[in-house]
Amino acid sequence: MRKFALAALFAAALVQADDTRAAQEWGLIGEEIARFEAKVVDVLCELTGDCPAGCGKGRRQLGLLTDEGRLVLPVKNFTPFSGAVDELIDFCGKRVLADGLFTTNRGHTIYALQFVKELPDGKWRRANRFLPKWAKRFGFEPGGPEAKRWFRNDPRIKALVAEDGKLGLGPAADKKYFSEQ
Amino acid sequence: MRHLKTILLAAALAMGLSASALAAKGERVKLDGEVIDTWCYITEIMFAEGSAHHLCALWCAAGGIPVGILGDDGKVYMVLKIEDDATSVANPTVLKIQSHQVSVDGDLYVRDGINYLVVNQVRDDKGIVKINHDEWGIQPEGN
Repeated sequence: MRKFALAALFAAALVQADDTRAAQEWGLIGEEIARFEAKVVDVLCELTGDCPAGCGKGRRQLGLLTDEGRLVLPVKNFTPFSGAVDELIDFCGKRVLADGLFTTNRGHTIYALQFVKELPDGKWRRANRFLPKWAKRFGFEPGGPEAKRWFRNDPRIKALVAEDGKLGLGPAADKKYFSEQ
Repeated sequence: MRHLKTILLAAALAMGLSASALAAKGERVKLDGEVIDTWCYITEIMFAEGSAHHLCALWCAAGGIPVGILGDDGKVYMVLKIEDDATSVANPTVLKIQSHQVSVDGDLYVRDGINYLVVNQVRDDKGIVKINHDEWGIQPEGN
């Protein structure tokens, strides 16, 4: 009997741990924690009817379409300087439970996705899939120092900075600016 | 005619198309504005315009955060497509014009308070015109 009670308690703890996975406040202007059910959609498809297979396979912005017909735009995930598409693309066309923050400022309301799970009975995922995907794409270790500072090591960004400078005004402008710092 | 529309709608739904797949055309617009990172600008987590924010804007665009145009009217327009390229995640064309002042022709779709833009043509690209790094430094890490 005691064994059964302990097992039940352990199971309950696991369930609770799953259900208590909750979005954090980030201290943003006009932020509001929000957990809601929605269908993952390709935003361009939703608006224009231009609908390739697989929501554009991760190369298009994805939206969360609520049962009330509201189209929510998830702009951010849990990783520095990265968006929500890598977090949602596995759920294209599927219903999910999204957990995160709305932030309303400058006349716009956008969403930061922190956790997501497929409905009805998927497991919670922290919205931090961007980094391992980035690391795999560019040949770095997912937990390595290059991945942690991915934005400093991204070959696309490095190429643009080499060409246009960090200021975007050409290498000469960078040289002048940094020599004066 | 009304009867025909009903039949077509029913047929489309029967074929599995969502109502949104029958979406109407957007409103044709001409816009002037700066290509921006929408997250930093809307949240104001840092100063997010011009040369001061260019590097961060590159990071965010490469990271897949939606890129927008901050119109001269003060509104933000989320770019979903640029000319023939319907990709909007780390789009190389958009990365190349990040922080630039541009003039575009496009189709505007307003949905639930957000302006979405299909850019049909970039008519003009003046490069970065807000030269503000002396005032603001390089956001957010200073180098």
